[in-house]
Amino acid sequence: MIRPGDWLRRYGALLRAAWLQDLQYRASIVLWLLWGVTEPAVALGIWWAIAADGPVQGYARADFARYFFALMLVNQLTIAWDSWYLDSWIREGELNFRLARPIHPAHEAVAENIAYKARTAGMILVVWLIVAAVWPAVRLPFGAGRWALTAAAVLLAAAMRFLISFATGLLAFWTTRATAIMELHAGIALFLSGRLAPLALLPPAVARVAGFLWFPYMLAFPVDLLTGAVHGAAVVQGFAGQVVWLAVWVGAYRLAWTRGLRKYGAVGG
Amino acid sequence: MTIRIPQSAIRILLALWRLNVAEELQYRANLVASLLGTVFWIVTALLTLAVFFRHTTRLGDWDYWEVVVLLGVFNTLTGVIEAVLRPGIGRLAGEVKNGGLDLVLAKPVDAQGFVSFRRLDVWRFTDVVLGLTLAGYAMYRLGRAPSPAQLAAFGVTLAAAVVVVYALWVALMSLAFWFVSVENLSVLFDAVYEGARYPVSAYPGALRFVFVYLIPIAWTTTIPASALTGRLVPGYALVAAAVAGIAFALTRLLWRTALKRYSGASG
Repeated sequence: MIRPGDWLRRYGALLRAAWLQDLQYRASIVLWLLWGVTEPAVALGIWWAIAADGPVQGYARADFARYFFALMLVNQLTIAWDSWYLDSWIREGELNFRLARPIHPAHEAVAENIAYKARTAGMILVVWLIVAAVWPAVRLPFGAGRWALTAAAVLLAAAMRFLISFATGLLAFWTTRATAIMELHAGIALFLSGRLAPLALLPPAVARVAGFLWFPYMLAFPVDLLTGAVHGAAVVQGFAGQVVWLAVWVGAYRLAWTRGLRKYGAVGG
Repeated sequence: MTIRIPQSAIRILLALWRLNVAEELQYRANLVASLLGTVFWIVTALLTLAVFFRHTTRLGDWDYWEVVVLLGVFNTLTGVIEAVLRPGIGRLAGEVKNGGLDLVLAKPVDAQGFVSFRRLDVWRFTDVVLGLTLAGYAMYRLGRAPSPAQLAAFGVTLAAAVVVVYALWVALMSLAFWFVSVENLSVLFDAVYEGARYPVSAYPGALRFVFVYLIPIAWTTTIPASALTGRLVPGYALVAAAVAGIAFALTRLLWRTALKRYSGASG
């Protein structure tokens, strides 16, 4: 039986290793960050042009600015590259030594995510603060309660996106196109998770379909919480959706992991 | 600055490409995967436009089908990028880091030419075909038949666009000689090129200036699409050709300067 203190020590070591590894590649990380923010920046540019003649369904230019700045931050805090890692781990046999360790490989991945996100989201926050100093449109009203709720929603969303990415990466046990499936997922998420536009601006039927799936809970819901666009019962509903879909993806991950390992014939030495 | 293209260079390239094609033909399933990927990308891009055009009738004064013409041009250039540039010069950063460039420099050929055109991902040329088809279909929906002068201008501006895209890649990848540890420099291109998906007139003034003069992606999609739809006076195609010439000359100079910094890393 492992005590909680041991877990703290283990995570301490994993986080330290991940942080130092990232430090080596800090220039590369800045480039990935840049790549991550151009899509919302371009989307903001287009909506900015469209909203020139007045608000679009209640969204004025400043609302778009706040929405996409919040989206950049939340997206960076919840993004997970794990399918690409797992795909190469499984295909090139790098999973072998990770399986031989006395700790589940997922913990290494979680630690890497925390280190990466702390660094990149920190950079976005600093840039946001500088921009907010000169551009009032992107300032957010301070509300301790709302920010605490946002933090919880971001955590749930990050956990869910991690599990989606990890579980999909595990498909590499069966197929060589696991990352293509993840890209397909990202393409659908462009619309249904709110990366392209606030969900209210999608055709109503599409927005309704999105509501039955996990996509809005990985991005749009925490973003709306941060900008103050959801209130009352919708907040409770949002958290309920997050918890339910998180549970579903935990199940999917466990199924893929146990079935996959049985199927796995190690490659490489 | 001299650019000599000896006959042997062409022979070498042809031999490389022949090997390359023979190798790729072994993986015919990749054709299907590539096609599906492109179709998925085009559908995504069209749906994106559909979302924007639910709330407006014009984007930077372009109407829906005009922007679709631009998307077709974008996809055509994506084909060139994915088929030639990414598998060729896109690998430069890694080679500067691990010393693989030594093997290139030791060869009695022009290093820039060899690095740039050594490999073809032939299946990705399907993007060129699909992109031009999309642009053609959008022209049909616009109900405009381009005049011979417009078609010629389109040909010239599209060729200029390919040169400008190539120059951008060389410029970005040359950074590897200064920032040796950065292996994912190609990501920088993807980030910048994202802006080329829409007409530059849709962007705020400052950004438009950047895209026309500093990072000249306006010349890659907006200008050829304008030439085809008749927004551009055909004579301006010569300006595009001049821009391409300047961009190429500048990056050739940059490559020379950058290469002097390289001191080898393998061994």
